[in-house]
Amino acid sequence: MLYTLREAFARKVFLFFMIISGLILLTEIVIFSMVDTEKIIVSLNSTGDPLMRGQIIEKIELAVYSFITSLLLLLAIFASASFVPNMLEKGTVDLFLSKPISRSQLLLGKYFGGLLVVFINISFLILGMWLLVSFKFSYWDFSFLSTILFIVFTFAVLYSLLVFFGVLTQGSTAGMMIAYFIYIILSPLLAQAYIQIDVWTENKIYIYLVKGLYYIVPKTAELLGTDAINVVTGAGIDDYQPIITSFLFLILMLGFSIVLFRKKDF
Amino acid sequence: MNAIEIIGLTKIYFSSGGRKKVEALKDVSFEVATGSIFGLLGPNGAGKTTLIKIILGITHPTTGTAMLLNTSIDNYFIRRKIGYLPENHKYPTYLTGVEVLKYFGQLAGAEPNSLKKKTDELLELVKLSNWKKNKIKTYSKGMMQRLGLAQALINDPEIIFLDEPTDGVDPIGRKEIRDILADLKAQGKTIFLNSHLLSEVELVTDRIAILNKGVLLKIGSVTELTEKKEEYKISVDAENLIEEIASSGRSFHLKPQKINGGYSINVSGDEELNLFIDFLRSKNYLIKEIVPLKSSLEDLFINIVNESEKGMK
Repeated sequence: MLYTLREAFARKVFLFFMIISGLILLTEIVIFSMVDTEKIIVSLNSTGDPLMRGQIIEKIELAVYSFITSLLLLLAIFASASFVPNMLEKGTVDLFLSKPISRSQLLLGKYFGGLLVVFINISFLILGMWLLVSFKFSYWDFSFLSTILFIVFTFAVLYSLLVFFGVLTQGSTAGMMIAYFIYIILSPLLAQAYIQIDVWTENKIYIYLVKGLYYIVPKTAELLGTDAINVVTGAGIDDYQPIITSFLFLILMLGFSIVLFRKKDF
Repeated sequence: MNAIEIIGLTKIYFSSGGRKKVEALKDVSFEVATGSIFGLLGPNGAGKTTLIKIILGITHPTTGTAMLLNTSIDNYFIRRKIGYLPENHKYPTYLTGVEVLKYFGQLAGAEPNSLKKKTDELLELVKLSNWKKNKIKTYSKGMMQRLGLAQALINDPEIIFLDEPTDGVDPIGRKEIRDILADLKAQGKTIFLNSHLLSEVELVTDRIAILNKGVLLKIGSVTELTEKKEEYKISVDAENLIEEIASSGRSFHLKPQKINGGYSINVSGDEELNLFIDFLRSKNYLIKEIVPLKSSLEDLFINIVNESEKGMK
């Protein structure tokens, strides 16, 4: 696991993340120094209600969060997609498999190593953003930090898919394409379709198909959208289904990956 | 005692459609004695690497199994006692020589307390001490091969599998590797060598096996296999031996042929050899030397492979 961290350092994954994170934080600093944020808050909160002030700051935090989440996940998928295929390269895989380690351990080591890399990088940026906002408004809302868990969990689900396709194809392209497709198109589309399908059609087959697909596909849209926002705003998670079904998807993907890896000849 | 036992190994590869199949190994069985150097020979595509990969758990057999130190290869813990230098090995290029040994030593279950000492010793042994802190992307092919050998020895293994260990190594380096192998043998280690360089195999191995198209064609010691049965070189002080035999009226089946410093003869058995010696002594010829003739490993290899190719057609 720790050598995946080392690999990430060597492949400049950390440097790349740090530069992007640094640029985002710098942009935030510049905006905060140019805009009189206090004036904006006062104009939005004419009554001066301190509770309302907190809600406005939370909304500012969430606006920044929404902006960077997509970027962070796209980068995380891109940076970690090659971890497993690199291990499976001809000449490298022989060295690993001839050691007294089970194939499951090897694969899970790579999985959790990749997760650790992304956790460190995402924590750095979210923590940086949170500190900036908190200092600027003298408003310390720790619930915002829970977004780290939501982003890392969403990444963990998509990363299990990358691992599976990494083992299956011994390359990173197929996994990346499918992960991006789910994250950018399929999950938001299914989240909407799940609610609207009864209005859109009366055909039971389509309805079952869409709803069935909705439960199978990881719910990245809900995880990073409503669930994360509800936790930050203190509303709490009202429906655990997206978390549970996404977690089951993760377990299934890792399970399939391990079975496939154990059976495969190299 | 045997360090390696191969029991009826068969490996069939199926094409993606499942229609075409390639039999990479066909019911291969043999043993390798503890403390010996064993050479596996065969042309490209013979199944040598597949065999090693099955033994090490990199590829799964279709049928059959193998035992390492009396333990089934299915038990991956046995690999704590195994070292492996694969052909065309590829280490993470961002690591230094020391880091490669440390990393793979940890994976191989090397004793953590002695790992640093062992790393230094092995780098010294393969003459890479001066390069140990350099990134391996700066290493030459020969240096990578020597690092690979050190990596295969990092966990102080009892059996060492070497797939083309001298590939890309210069003649001096090859000699050094041969010396290392001899030292390892003296320490009681078992070495399984897979090499195309027949002259080198001949120099270091105790026993060899020849594999072609997945079939085990021959197995035995180099001396046994290269000895030309009932063919001897006799060095004798005689100018006209061939004529003498013809005029003697003796019914020898042998047909002496002049070779440098003597005659080569084929006899039909030990009895005829002794009769021929009696004949030479009766003629007062001075017998200087009688040596069984040997073919080179290369000749043997080519003959056996060609014969098997004809047999398969």
